[in-house]
Amino acid sequence: MSNINGKVYAMNAITPMKPWKTSVLKTIFFALEHIKPLQQDLINLSFIEFARWVSVPRNGFPYLGNGQAREELKYDYLLFFSNFNGTWNQYIDAFSAVLSKGLDLVWRWSEKFPGSVPVTLFKEYIARVQFDTDYYFTAYPHATANDLKSAHIVQASFDSLIERTGKCTPEEFGDAYLNFVIQVQAYLGDTGQAPIVF
Amino acid sequence: MSKLNQTDIQGFVLRGYNLPYARYVFLHFEDASRARALIGRLLPVITTGQLWDNGKPRSTVNIAFTHRGLAALDLPEATLLSFPVEFLQGMKSRAGILGDTGVNAPEHWDRLWHANAVHAWLGINAQTPAALDARCSEIQALVQETGGAIELASQDAAAIMDEGKPTTREHFGYTDGFGNPDYLGVERSTQPGQGKLMPDGSWAPLATGELLLGYADEAGELPVAPIPHILASNGTFMVYRKLHQNLASFRAYLDEHAAIYGGGREKLAAKFVGRWRDGTPIELSPDGPDQAIVHDPNRNTNFTYGADSEGTRCPIGGHIRRVHPRDAFGFNGRLIDRRRITRRGLPYGPPLPENEPASDGDDRGIVFMALNASISRQFEFVQQQWIEYGNDAHQGNDKDMLMGNHGGKGKFVVQGDRSATNPPFLCNHLPNFVELRGGDYFFLPSITALGMIALGVVDPR
Amino acid sequence: MPNQNGTIYGLTILSPIINDEKATPSHDLQIRSYLASMPVGEDSPFALAPGTHLARLVVMDDVVFVGAPSIEEHLQSKYLVFESNCDGDLDGYLSGLAAAAPQDLDAIWSHCVGYPGAARPQAFVDYMKACQIETTFFFAAVNNKSVPETLRALQTQRAVADFIASHQGMEPARLQAEFVHFATRLRSAPLPKPGSPASPRPIKTGGRNE
Repeated sequence: MSNINGKVYAMNAITPMKPWKTSVLKTIFFALEHIKPLQQDLINLSFIEFARWVSVPRNGFPYLGNGQAREELKYDYLLFFSNFNGTWNQYIDAFSAVLSKGLDLVWRWSEKFPGSVPVTLFKEYIARVQFDTDYYFTAYPHATANDLKSAHIVQASFDSLIERTGKCTPEEFGDAYLNFVIQVQAYLGDTGQAPIVF
Repeated sequence: MSKLNQTDIQGFVLRGYNLPYARYVFLHFEDASRARALIGRLLPVITTGQLWDNGKPRSTVNIAFTHRGLAALDLPEATLLSFPVEFLQGMKSRAGILGDTGVNAPEHWDRLWHANAVHAWLGINAQTPAALDARCSEIQALVQETGGAIELASQDAAAIMDEGKPTTREHFGYTDGFGNPDYLGVERSTQPGQGKLMPDGSWAPLATGELLLGYADEAGELPVAPIPHILASNGTFMVYRKLHQNLASFRAYLDEHAAIYGGGREKLAAKFVGRWRDGTPIELSPDGPDQAIVHDPNRNTNFTYGADSEGTRCPIGGHIRRVHPRDAFGFNGRLIDRRRITRRGLPYGPPLPENEPASDGDDRGIVFMALNASISRQFEFVQQQWIEYGNDAHQGNDKDMLMGNHGGKGKFVVQGDRSATNPPFLCNHLPNFVELRGGDYFFLPSITALGMIALGVVDPR
Repeated sequence: MPNQNGTIYGLTILSPIINDEKATPSHDLQIRSYLASMPVGEDSPFALAPGTHLARLVVMDDVVFVGAPSIEEHLQSKYLVFESNCDGDLDGYLSGLAAAAPQDLDAIWSHCVGYPGAARPQAFVDYMKACQIETTFFFAAVNNKSVPETLRALQTQRAVADFIASHQGMEPARLQAEFVHFATRLRSAPLPKPGSPASPRPIKTGGRNE
């Protein structure tokens, strides 16, 4: 299945927007970018590796001449690309459960968006506006966003321990090592294969 | 919301009977009209959710059907197709999704499950073995009279006794029976910690629709349900799994690792699960069991993990923390409200005192049943994402210590601190302590729905 | 600036696909067919060229019609979407791709309007930039670690878990010696290749990375 590589899922979605609404949306994104606490929920829902929204105005589709026909569109389009861990259902369930206000703020400007609660209608809408990935690459298919964060914590602690190792007595090392284990003990989950999608 | 009509809901759904003896009988239907006649004869004896004002009955009877069973009863095609996909497929087909591979794979299950012939489950619970046998004979008589079914096999189960009195212990020695959720409208003794967490820290019952079809669920809508509404309402889905327990492997593993664990044997056992073997939550009492907490319904499930984010009291991968994360995922627990299940079940096979030698080959384990409105969203999710996997708990691919399908690999981390009796500790080369020996997905209809099935008057829209 | 989040660059490129009714199969189908056979693991062009965390290629057939009362409209051309989450600067990343995997790039983008070929690196970079759309909002869970740093950390995490497990209860002098030895070995271990999948699983999912 080309939407999935290892533990990460590539979702693509496109929704039409009446052009006057695009500037409203851009203001909202600007606020989201610069008012960091608004992003906190997104960070805490820790299964997104990378995600982006791309607003394409109706005359913004690249035009390179050479016989290409110009686009003549009435709507602007909002593209959404997400790289997330877990299943499609799990992802949308989670967003609908805890981030519905934020989602609504972004997508209410898109035509016929039904709202992110209740979740069944929301899933139907996403299914309609989603299109499938042809090729998906990840440098670390066996790791989720959580695994990555854990790994960086372990690396940092490990580097600190190495620095001290040469200069201390065995007793001091034993102590430093215990501290090290306590620092990393919550971050040692195995990486590997994803469960089967359902 | 309006009160539930308890006489229309099978009692098994609304409460654990706490009757110490059970027999689960599996039936196969050969002829639709004879089978419907049998259901019609069984209908008056099916135990409903009506409260027992005159004390517990001597025995209870409940019934549920697989999708093949509903098809064998000649329900209309459109109705059959309107059931959720996982129920249509049955648990065996979902083995990959559930992690039922290796020793848990269907080819190792009891013969009962091999030919996909199980159409119905009859759950009979009783106060005494004599009452159990008497009730089963009555039912067998009905089966004979109507010629409505063939009995494929049955599974006995019973509470482990302590000097003649039933306990809620299972074979590894853990006291079980905590943690079933509270639902709106379902009358039972509610306890703080069983429902969903509210922003002010109190606990409220879960939406009825997390357990029963036909009612609003936690997402503010009616859960996906088969049509017509009247067939689905007041019904629910049941997952049945026979879990063999490798008692020898468990005791050996515990002994071997307790010898090098600074907290000692009982503490290590407690760390696997998140409760001391007597039931005390380790989160509330990290240093030792405390019967006062166990017997206080206001305390024995009343805790959160917010103050224990590093897992030094209850390990992050501990069993009860995996299956009911409470506030551990943030967002005031909202990510887990739709992942709760109601558990029923009893141990099977002879209990063995600690000092007697055990063998993995002995036939003992637990019959596990889960009740939920959506098998895929609730049971399957918990089984796949929280038991056989650990990403939501930030534990990567690590599996549940006791229930995981380890195959000799994998690990379990006991987070600790600098004290000698609570050190960090890693358990690896994990054997399968529990093995799956069979099971399936069942639909537990309301009394009304049973009547319609018996009369053959189910019409799709 | 919205294309960048920390040290990660969010590249979004929409390349118009040549619309030629006489081509059989059509250019978009040829791209799809090539993508279906291109390796997604260590041999991917995105593994051979440096800097790609996650990237996707999608043939976007058309805009979506969400239903009345919305107006139905259609694109004149199909577009090849290239979405990449990569390290560092744009020019360096694109040049790196052109240098490491010119055949794959040509096989894919030769079906797009105005593509100059990977053999002319500056023209290639200019072409990609001409097709670039500004990312409006870009979220990254980890925005300050490069691909090699990430692969190194994952390797360390696994090795550390194994070390801790096999050294429980060891007395300090021996522990210290073994740790020093372990750290040296780990430091000199080759970096895992980007895109390497996990070890084979006993059951097939049917996913392309099996």
